[in-house]
Amino acid sequence: MESSAFADTFDAWTDSALEWLSDNGEFLFDLVRAMLEGLYDGILWLLDLPPFFVVAAVLALAGWRLVNAWFGVLTGIALVLCSLLGLWPETVSTLALVMTATSLALLVGLPIGVVAGFLPQLDRLLEPVLDLIQTLPPYIYLLPAIALLGYGPATALIATFVVAMPPAVRLTSLGIRMTPHEFIELGQSVGITRWQMFFKIRLPFAMPSIMAGINQSLMMAFGMVVIAGIVGSGGLGETIYKAIRTLDMARSIDAAIAIVVLTMVLDRITQSAASLGKGGTR
Amino acid sequence: MASIDANEVLIDCQSVWKIFGDKAPAAMEAVAKRGLSKKQILQEYNCVVGVSDASIQVRRGEIFCIMGLSGSGKSTLIRLLNRLITPSLGKVLVKGKDLSALDAAGLRQMRAQNIGMVFQSVALLPHRTVLENAAFGLEVQGIAKAERNRTATAALEKVGLGDWLNRYPSELSGGMQQRVGLARAIASDPEIILMDEPFSALDPLIRRQLQDEFRQLTKELGKSAVFITHDLDEAIRIGDRIAIMKDGVIIQVGTAEDIVLNPADQYVADFVAGISRLHLIKAHSVMVPVAEYQRQHPGSDLASLAKTTPEADIDELIGLTMQSDRDGIAVVDKGAAVGVVTAKSLLAGVKGTTTAEQAAAA
Repeated sequence: MESSAFADTFDAWTDSALEWLSDNGEFLFDLVRAMLEGLYDGILWLLDLPPFFVVAAVLALAGWRLVNAWFGVLTGIALVLCSLLGLWPETVSTLALVMTATSLALLVGLPIGVVAGFLPQLDRLLEPVLDLIQTLPPYIYLLPAIALLGYGPATALIATFVVAMPPAVRLTSLGIRMTPHEFIELGQSVGITRWQMFFKIRLPFAMPSIMAGINQSLMMAFGMVVIAGIVGSGGLGETIYKAIRTLDMARSIDAAIAIVVLTMVLDRITQSAASLGKGGTR
Repeated sequence: MASIDANEVLIDCQSVWKIFGDKAPAAMEAVAKRGLSKKQILQEYNCVVGVSDASIQVRRGEIFCIMGLSGSGKSTLIRLLNRLITPSLGKVLVKGKDLSALDAAGLRQMRAQNIGMVFQSVALLPHRTVLENAAFGLEVQGIAKAERNRTATAALEKVGLGDWLNRYPSELSGGMQQRVGLARAIASDPEIILMDEPFSALDPLIRRQLQDEFRQLTKELGKSAVFITHDLDEAIRIGDRIAIMKDGVIIQVGTAEDIVLNPADQYVADFVAGISRLHLIKAHSVMVPVAEYQRQHPGSDLASLAKTTPEADIDELIGLTMQSDRDGIAVVDKGAAVGVVTAKSLLAGVKGTTTAEQAAAA
């Protein structure tokens, strides 16, 4: 069949391209891998440093200060539950994965979003790329990553980074573009410089949108980090993946509970931080 | 106050045009060379003429109102004065400096130090307190916090908001928000304040109050102001001179009296038809010449008449007529009698036939 012949050729190309990349870029990919894993290990080490109850207390306190007392108490209880399920080390390594990948996604996504907010041409160029990234099933990113970076957290981080970046770019760009016209005129009429226009007028108005983007990135990262269990990310994702392979229903539910707890806690805390930035004092 | 030279022109807007659209430069050239009309420009170039050949001079210490309905180009014109909008043709000189000849830094400095602006939408930054908003112009000029807060506080006290420094804009009423906008504009101590329909969104009572306060404050501080409005009453109440705009063209410039008593065309006449002439009547506009009075009243001794100034308003004239048992009030300017207001001439003025009668008398 012609179509299958075509598919075979195409697949052969893809394989050889990836092979070529991994052969010739070995040094580069090893470096990337070492850097990603170094960052991840560093964050994990930091999170592992204090005993369980300190981390739980800090998160509960953050929940209380940023959301409300009720949420703070619930946070504490839920985290204790994770620990009682015997999943604390996995929870911490998932948290470290999410934090590493989200930080990287924001580090790249926020500046790109700001530039795209100013340059409509770049925004038009990025739009289909971001659409593509967000439409493809997230699994897709795992295989090329595994081919280039091998089995382990580095692959999980790269895939998570790719998935977590689009919301940060999109919502930052939107926020920058949304500055009300009268405030641009106000800035000009008082003789403002470009930098002042950005920091004193555009950024404050963009803040709620940017914070929403950060929150969305975080949520995407959580989703992906679980899927990345397949490539040996470690953490709760891997626990679930192992439980699926051994049909250990109970264990997979335990891990799911831990993930839900962690996601909800971070979601609410970042959301509240976002709305705080909206109307409060500076 | 330092001596104010009322004849010094602060803003000199010379034959300024603004055409909006993708093909604006070509359209502008067509206007300059072929003298196309507004309609032809829209048809041939798909461009809109915002301001067409506008020339105005704003003098030091004067409040200059630009009155026009929506779409008349008044908001575009005021933005040409601080170059928020760049003219398609023509020049705007502020304090003798051509705005289009200034570089970015020069323009910034000009805007920061010489031209304040107040917007219809107020544009108070919602995440900043009243004080921080009022100090905004000073802040971007890099003035130290203590000093700018002191200056901004003084400006806020002038507009009666001394007790609201640490509130947020959302806690203030519309009228109070606009006062903050005014305080922000005067805090940088500019010589010119541009007011873009600042009171249009306020309710009538507050609007009147703010109009009076604004006029008083501007005069007290010796500032010049360009004030945009769609309300002729407001223009008459506030303005020393008024320009009437229609379809991007300035139809008439003059004092409230000029415009109400001598409208330039039917459009202006229709506008002023609803305006009461009563408070525009001044002794000099209803008096009859001395010779005319003496012809009608032979033997009447001019020196024994009650005296008043040419600027005396209707209240004063009626008061004097009631008190006096004679048949006229002498209008004296610089020691010499320039005319006589009689009961008849006063009534004719109230009726609105002043100009006709004066023309007949002259």
